[in-house]
Amino acid sequence: MAQDIESTPDPGQVADWELELQKVGFARRILMARKWYRTDWWFVAISTVMVVGFLIVAAVPQWLAAHDPLEQVGPRLLAPRELPEQEILVVPIGGTIASIADFEPDVRTPVAVAIDTPSSEAARDEAERVTDEIAASGGEGRIRLQIERRETAEEALAAVETGEAVAAVISSKTYEAIAAEFPTLKDSGAVSSAEQDATSFPLGTNQVGQDVLSRLIWGARIAIIIGFSASIASFVIGVPLGLLAGFVGGKIDRVMTLIMDSIYAFPGLILAIAITAVLGPSIFNIIVAIAVLYIPTYYRIVRGQTLQARQALYVEAARSLGAKSKVILTRYIFPNVIPSVAVIFSVNVADAILTGAGLSFLGLGLPLSIPDWGIDLARGQEFIRSAWWLITFPGLAVMSVVLAFTMMGEGLVEIFNPKLRER
Amino acid sequence: MHPLLIVFLIFGIPAGVALGWVFLRGSESLRRYILTRIALTLPMVLILISVVFFVLRVMPGDVVSSTLGPKASEAARQNIMEALGLDDPLIVQYFRFLGDVVTFDLGDSFIGARRPIVDELGERLPATLELITPAAILALGSGLLFGTYAAIRRKKPADYSLRLYSVIIYSMPIFWLGLLLRLVFSVWLDWTPIAGRIDVVTNTTLVRTTNLLVVDSILTGNWAALRSVLHHMILPAMTLGLVLSGVFIRLTRINVIETLQEDYVVAARARGIRERVVTYSYALKNAMIPVVTVMGLQVAILLAGAVLTETVFNWPGMGRYLIERISSRDFQAVQSTVAVFALFVAIISLAVDVIYSILDPRVKY
Repeated sequence: MAQDIESTPDPGQVADWELELQKVGFARRILMARKWYRTDWWFVAISTVMVVGFLIVAAVPQWLAAHDPLEQVGPRLLAPRELPEQEILVVPIGGTIASIADFEPDVRTPVAVAIDTPSSEAARDEAERVTDEIAASGGEGRIRLQIERRETAEEALAAVETGEAVAAVISSKTYEAIAAEFPTLKDSGAVSSAEQDATSFPLGTNQVGQDVLSRLIWGARIAIIIGFSASIASFVIGVPLGLLAGFVGGKIDRVMTLIMDSIYAFPGLILAIAITAVLGPSIFNIIVAIAVLYIPTYYRIVRGQTLQARQALYVEAARSLGAKSKVILTRYIFPNVIPSVAVIFSVNVADAILTGAGLSFLGLGLPLSIPDWGIDLARGQEFIRSAWWLITFPGLAVMSVVLAFTMMGEGLVEIFNPKLRER
Repeated sequence: MHPLLIVFLIFGIPAGVALGWVFLRGSESLRRYILTRIALTLPMVLILISVVFFVLRVMPGDVVSSTLGPKASEAARQNIMEALGLDDPLIVQYFRFLGDVVTFDLGDSFIGARRPIVDELGERLPATLELITPAAILALGSGLLFGTYAAIRRKKPADYSLRLYSVIIYSMPIFWLGLLLRLVFSVWLDWTPIAGRIDVVTNTTLVRTTNLLVVDSILTGNWAALRSVLHHMILPAMTLGLVLSGVFIRLTRINVIETLQEDYVVAARARGIRERVVTYSYALKNAMIPVVTVMGLQVAILLAGAVLTETVFNWPGMGRYLIERISSRDFQAVQSTVAVFALFVAIISLAVDVIYSILDPRVKY
């Protein structure tokens, strides 16, 4: 009995467990929450990391992207990690020649090429370059080639096997296909030493030779800008309207709810299509179009919550104490409505990104000069037969951003609104 | 009879029968509820049509110069403006457009062969319906099935993986899923046709009356055409259905979990009724009520998804018509298409609410 009285906290004193909790750092407390929320905690944790990652990418794309997203930086339609096609020198195994620089000066060296290929030109260019190099280093002599033209690449290689030519110059891809037929020959690397350090692109290049990865990185910025601006805009308009309608009620409420419900029930994308068609393509216009769609989302939730809060005891009390309507609305109702809205904000950003990608996929939202995932997908679908990477990666990017924001929002809903959890 | 009318009848007759049933058998309050609901549908359609009409009037680039070219003489411009009624005051144009919608005479399209828009929509709307109907069935079916399963297996691996699946599929841009399915099944495996509604060759043998190609081919007994139509339908319908299935799985799961904790379910269990019966005929039946309600809102998502799916698969439906006409600045066709979309959404959500009121006797308005 005495113990019970002792453990009852004084009104002015803080409970023991609260003191204990205060000793634990913020980071520890978040980790401890894992025990209570289990899977939802992991959902929120993983998705938060992803969201932060995307925000960083969107903030500093110029540090992360290796290439300019709008410039041609490589050959067209290069597969991921594929090296650009090169002209290579094929020589007999065990021979002394490894490059054109090893050819004896001032002697016409027979080199086999297939006709109608850029091989002979590549060989001549390299020979000239080596000659210039010799001259520059004070030496004398010229690398002279005797180009042996053959009908096909196979015949050119056969000429090297029989000794008619010292080496053959053919394209790397052709060689790969027929190398097995010529076991006595080997690939001795690119003809030109400049080509030797040609880079490959981790996600390939598109139909105009732009780097897919760099465009993805810059596209993140556009997606994040559209998602956040549109959601903030609809938040800023929808929340006050909902508060007002819920608080004032009457005719204003009925008319506004009818309008909002009409917009809400209508396919959002179709409305956005009509709006962007009117406004023309630009980032600002796409944000306006998407913002209009999501105003009803905020309006409906805030109105519902306001209707509930209006009848709450604390509002009743405030009113009887003589608080003005404005004060009740801003100091009593608004703070109680905000948490439920904040949670759907994250899901709303995801929806806005998805709608934005859809609009630019249809060719309506953005000008073509902006590196955007939806545009990349739309342009990539023409090459679906030849270049799978053009449609795979931008879509994957849209999905992971949307997934991150949705998962974060869903997890937060479960954590803040645990009605469904343990019952 | 006009194809558009036939299509509206096909969907309208069941709805009419349901309405009639409610009026004959329903209670006084139910009747009043449905009448209010119908009365509310009209302003909703009106608001949407008006928004679209006025929004399109500020559209830059007018149709006259895009039909005649920039060098057209002033007289020729004037002629066209007069013929189309574009020189009238805005308010006159507005009421004329409302009249057009009511009388279902939407005028001629500005471009191409200048066919009546109603005829063009008569070809396009059935195509869209033929896409969204199997998609909705797939989404609802798999949603109820897997959602219930996840609810029973709550907090088991099956539940977590179904939840993860539904979040992932919800996050997928629908056009991307379409492109991926096309890449795998049409390009790599070559199992399905790459685009369109029917083979070009088979198409010539098919007599069209409703433009619902499945119905047409069955009516005329043209089995080759039916095969071709179904073959073309698989991928687009799957794309749309899969994306929506995620939403339904989540909804069903949450609602079944909630109803499984209701007292009457506990009571049923206590009486020794088998678990399967408890789940399916006690819990699922009641859990379906909110799912049906949301079905009405999903129609909007379904139609928006249809626009994107049609673009990916070159499916000649309403969505592609809208996009085509926007790029040619044919705003008569654009506003008519959006009006038909609005009518369609209004009718479906009305039907859903009626069904809901029959299913759930507690509903009050």
